Amino acid sequence: MPDVQSGTRIRPLDELDIGSIVRIDESISGSYRAEFWEQRVGYYLRRDPGASQVAEVDGRVVGFMLGELRAGEFGLEEPSGWIERFGIDPDQRGRDLGKQMFEAMRRHFRSEGALTVRTLVDQRDAAVSGFLGALGFAPSPLQALEMKL
Amino acid sequence: MSVKVESLKLEKKYHGAVEHWQKHNFKDYPVLLENWEKYFPTDEPFCLCAKLEVGTSDLVQIGEHKGEKKRDNPDQLTEEEAGHLLAIVRAQASTEFGSIQQHVGTLERAFDDQDRFWVLRVMAEELRHGYQMLHLLLSKDWSHVSGGATGEQMVEEILSMQTGNHVLDAFNLDYDSFIDNIAFAAIIDRVGKYQLTMQKICAYRPMADSMPPMLREEAFHLAAGVIPLRRWAKKAAEGDPFVTMTAIQHAINKWFPRGLEMFGDERGGDTNVRFGFKDLKNREAQDQYIEEVSRMIHDINSRYLRARFPDYAPDKAEQILAEIERTHGAHLGVRYEDLLRLPDRRFFRRKGEPAFTLIGIDGESFTEVEEYLRYLAKNLNEGYVASRDLRNYADVLRKVVAGTMSVKDGIMAMPKLKRVGGTCPCSKGVRWVMETPAETNGH
Repeated sequence: MPDVQSGTRIRPLDELDIGSIVRIDESISGSYRAEFWEQRVGYYLRRDPGASQVAEVDGRVVGFMLGELRAGEFGLEEPSGWIERFGIDPDQRGRDLGKQMFEAMRRHFRSEGALTVRTLVDQRDAAVSGFLGALGFAPSPLQALEMKL
Repeated sequence: MSVKVESLKLEKKYHGAVEHWQKHNFKDYPVLLENWEKYFPTDEPFCLCAKLEVGTSDLVQIGEHKGEKKRDNPDQLTEEEAGHLLAIVRAQASTEFGSIQQHVGTLERAFDDQDRFWVLRVMAEELRHGYQMLHLLLSKDWSHVSGGATGEQMVEEILSMQTGNHVLDAFNLDYDSFIDNIAFAAIIDRVGKYQLTMQKICAYRPMADSMPPMLREEAFHLAAGVIPLRRWAKKAAEGDPFVTMTAIQHAINKWFPRGLEMFGDERGGDTNVRFGFKDLKNREAQDQYIEEVSRMIHDINSRYLRARFPDYAPDKAEQILAEIERTHGAHLGVRYEDLLRLPDRRFFRRKGEPAFTLIGIDGESFTEVEEYLRYLAKNLNEGYVASRDLRNYADVLRKVVAGTMSVKDGIMAMPKLKRVGGTCPCSKGVRWVMETPAETNGH
């Protein structure tokens, strides 16, 4: 649990962070989705409790990044780290909190034997694409495909 | 999936003994395994095995032996250290098997299948944790500090314990409803998390290496308590006639004092730190625990208020919550009494520094013992009020307050259910007995 700057702390997610995640998500999306986040946090704590991270500033959770180590999907037999959901309180952006949470997740995945971190992004979302690009993510030969039904 | 974990099975006869215990005490275990994919899709299959973390620190991190190489065998510890550690391992083993016996009593009363299967998974992982402790007892020779008991005898002793004669009081209380299943996971398993975290640095390497895999599983156990409690608070706010905040508060009042006592006497814990077994003294760990339970209660109260006032912005809901807590007032029909509150750390204690003091939930003092007992009866659920545990507590409290029994003797005088028959749980040979002070290890 490293102190990365005065008053700021990056630490693994726990079950008492649900309320803060709901609040951050609500501040970004405008929707109150408590049941959704209860289910998702339960999922990540069950699957890979050391992977997901939150950022605290002065004791208050202001950011989260959720993901897990998985293997055996899409023909990818080796374990990969997956970054799946993240959010930063709009009032706390520009403090490098996303990068710091990502670095903590990357250390976790590496320690568990992963050689690759993967994610999916909507290319039309310039802010998220830009953030992931700044972290070092690059287009993968593995392409996401879809078909309308 | 972790590459950092080595999995081990016990010798066949001991593995079989645990499976035999499971058949008697955890009959739904096969149901969990059959439905694993349905409720936990793509999760690793459950493994009844011991797991040891690989690649942990080689050096003792705290205490008198700081900087020395960690010990791999009990005979590398002093006799006093080994005896102390053996008591910790036996107590830990007792709690793991004990919690399964408690959960099973009210499991079928779960509101829905998800809650039920979450608790079933918790129980299976507690079984694995008990198995882990048996591995610690059996994989090395403890005979020089076990009072002559062989590994086999220690296993028999642990597997023969029933609710009532486990080492720690929290594991000797029956559940009265499914609220106890989830309150226990949220409050008592949280103490377990602290103990495991403190023991990650243990100077005895097999113990230290046992902790990380157990802690990873414990993270879900806490979620299996807190998430249903959050949902219940929402239901209570929406007027569900079968779920109330009072019922949740009564469960907190029942379990929180026992959780505090699991840390040991507030004035102790130096030995664990000195021997390099844990990195916090009892009061230090207890203080952190209290702060964490306080956050949990705040979180559940927020969930309740947002459900009561769905149109309120989060900041407004927080502001109202703070206002009600500060003034003990009300807001549009929500009273202070409708919200959860953290009991005072001295409330309803029978061990430790405040044992048998007459302190209420909000820290208020009582002078009359009968008035205090009536107050407890109002603030605990009816099933528990009618229990033998509370009756025994009341008898001892009356004696301590009257001055006819010392606090120390009171702590040791709580009766336990002792098995007097064979070691197989098939045996019904149990009865209530009072232990003499010399037989107990009360704080």
